[in-house]
Order: sequence, then structure tokens, then C-alpha cells
Amino acid sequence: MILQIDFKSGQPVYLQLVEQVRHAAASGSLQAGEPLPSIRPLAEELRVNRNTIAKAYAELESQGVIETIPGKGCFLRAVNSLLTKSARHDLLAQEIDRAIVAAHHLRIGDAELLALVQKRLDIFDRNNQAANDSKAQP
Amino acid sequence: MNNDTPVIEIQNLVRRYGKHDAVNGLSLTVAAGKCYGFFGRNGAGKTTTIKCLLNLLRPDAGTTRVFGLDPCRNEVAVKSRLAYVPDMVAFYPWMTVSDTLEYLASFRTHWNRDIEADLLRRFQLDATKKTASLSKGQRTQLALIGAICPEPELLVLDEPTSGLDPIVRREFIETVIGAYQSGDPTRRTVFVSTHLIAEFEGLIDEFTIIEQGRELLTMNADAARDRFRKIHARFPRELKLPLSGALSVKYAGREVEILANGNSEQLLAELKAHQPEELRTESLTLEEIFVASDVLRQS
Repeated sequence: MILQIDFKSGQPVYLQLVEQVRHAAASGSLQAGEPLPSIRPLAEELRVNRNTIAKAYAELESQGVIETIPGKGCFLRAVNSLLTKSARHDLLAQEIDRAIVAAHHLRIGDAELLALVQKRLDIFDRNNQAANDSKAQP
Repeated sequence: MNNDTPVIEIQNLVRRYGKHDAVNGLSLTVAAGKCYGFFGRNGAGKTTTIKCLLNLLRPDAGTTRVFGLDPCRNEVAVKSRLAYVPDMVAFYPWMTVSDTLEYLASFRTHWNRDIEADLLRRFQLDATKKTASLSKGQRTQLALIGAICPEPELLVLDEPTSGLDPIVRREFIETVIGAYQSGDPTRRTVFVSTHLIAEFEGLIDEFTIIEQGRELLTMNADAARDRFRKIHARFPRELKLPLSGALSVKYAGREVEILANGNSEQLLAELKAHQPEELRTESLTLEEIFVASDVLRQS
């Protein structure tokens, strides 16, 4: 998994890392049980403060996305939510609302938005499929 | 020292050279475990401030505290817990690299030999070479090894990478992150003054911009990137807008570039009202914020 940061994005650096790990998990480029990069080499490579990486990993752990095994490192969890279904729906609704607002400002109609969502879902599915296939045939 | 005691606390510091006020009422606080950037133009008072922290200069007024102690009265107690890398490093020219490190280690109660061996290897420094024959980059590398091996609670860097080639600069920063920060994070504080802000961007938690001996801006780095934004808009035709509260507005035909200081939402709304063909916004980097702070001073 390759992580990147962009100081111009306006988003705190640790949250950029959180989002990229979540994205990697959703698209299958990071699979359950696979390790995340260790803090020190990742901090050196991205040339960011170690505390920033530690903060991102702590956030991912509190969200139930990863787990820390002492002495071994951080790994992607198999079931990555500790929240109830309705709580998860509420959280996702906030994200969907943001996309709806963005669609409005970009003058994209409802049908077009839904079609685009379907298209994006297909892309994630395809990536996941490809990741699984490549794992099945080493 | 408990963890609430700031590692550095400066209050109303004044230091004059003759009639010239090099530092004129500066205050700042650095909490334990932070990496603090200290930015300013040449002659803004950065080095004078650092020298006051290290008791290389006596303040004319105000107080400086390091680990809660007065660096003038408790010089040894303060200096035994910190290390300093100045922009111009000098060593005894007749000593070899390993003599120099032995000599530096003799002043310290603690010296990590593993880190020393590790960094000598990483920088490919020949320990038998006389320091007189080292390049500027190698001298800085030697100074950094000397600063990190005692594993001090505070690392003070004054323009550490100026005049070095890009590879040495990169290694320098990676070493600060890798070798220095590997200890207990609450006992690893960095105070760095630099012009090469972009290189340290990812490391900086908080910063102060100093201008003519006074604090101009002190902010958390993430908060600063959130507050200072550049908005770019293109309209179907040329127009002049009464954009209130923008830090700066630059027109180029149908295009306009605006610097926002915490009011980007309001400015975006004003721009949207005129149906732009294109509208995008990005955060300023810390270096751009430093350059923009010149506008801030005049406004």
C-alpha cells in the first residue's frame, strides 16, 4: 500500500492517512490480516512527524479498522466495525449528504448521481475481484 | 519536570545590539513532544532568540525558561538535557571524526553507541578522517550525530540545512524523524528555525513567524493550512468584485486569484453568485503562509 500526502488539500495530514487506509481496505488493495507499514519507516519516507502517523493509526484503531498486536505492528481487521447498524447508517448518511451537496453545486442531476454511484461501486468491485484473483494464484 | 511544564517558555524577551532591537517583546511556548517551527526573514531575530535560550546571550528584559529552568542560573542542568546544531558548525581541525565524537561524548552522561555506529554508516562518514577535510555537508552530519547520540529531550536546530545539497538535506530530516524521534515521544522535542520551510513541513506541529523581533503569527500547522487558502476562479467575462476581507486579490483578465484568511467559505459564496466557469480552492503550504504573512503584517 502506497500512502501519499498533500499539504494543499486542506485536510489535516493524519486524516489524509486515515482516509487512504480506509480506501485501500474498501478497494481490496489492503486485505484483512495484512500489515500496515511500520511507523518509523513510513514517517521517514513521507517525511512527516512520527506523532502524525501514530495519531492516524490510533484513529484507525478506534474506528475498528485496524488492530495493533504488541511487538508485531498494525494489521487490518477482518470485521471492521464495532458500531451498530443504525450508527453505521448515520455515519454513512453524512458522507452521502456531502456528495449530494457537491452534486448540486456541480449541477449534476439525481439520476446522473445515482448512475455515477453505481459506476463507482462497480469499479471498487472489480478492484476487489482483481485483488482476490491475484491472491488465489500466487 | 512533569509533562505539563513547557520545554521552552519565552515571555516578552528583549535583546538589543546597541540601539538596534534584535528581539523586541517576543513570547512563545513549546510543549513537550512537539516539533516547533520558528520562521522569519534574515535578521528577524531568530538566532538571537535561540542564543538567549542557550545562555550564549543574556536577555535585556523578559524571561526565558527551558524545562522550567532559567538557562542563565541553571546552565548545566539545562544544557545537559538539550543539543544544538547551529548553521555554521566548527570542530577542532586536528581531530578525526571519531576523536570529535569521543570529545563530545565526554561532556555527556549518556551516549548511545548504537545510534553513533548506525549514523556513521548511514552518512558513510570515515571515522579516521580529520574534521578539517570534511565538506560542509559532512560537518553538518557530524554535528547531527553529536546532537542525537546523547538522546537529549530537546533538539535545537538553527538553519540546519541551509547551504547543503538536496540529498544531504533529505537525509538530515529523515535522521531527525527516524533516529531522534524513536525514543519516548514526550521526551523528544524539536525547535527548528529555518528558511527551507517546505522541507520541514511534515514535521512541524506548530510554528511562530517572527518579524522585526516580534511575534507575527503563532499557529498549529493543520489549523493554519485550514485557515489560509488560495481560491482560483474564472468567469465568462471580465469583472471586478468587491471581495471584502480577502488577504489579497489578483486579477488576470477573466481570472482571479484570492488569498483567504479564515473566510474562504464567505468568499466562495460571493464568487459563486457570479456564476464562475471554474472555481477551485487549495490550502497554502506553510512556506506560502510565511510569504503571505508579509501581506498580513501590512494589513
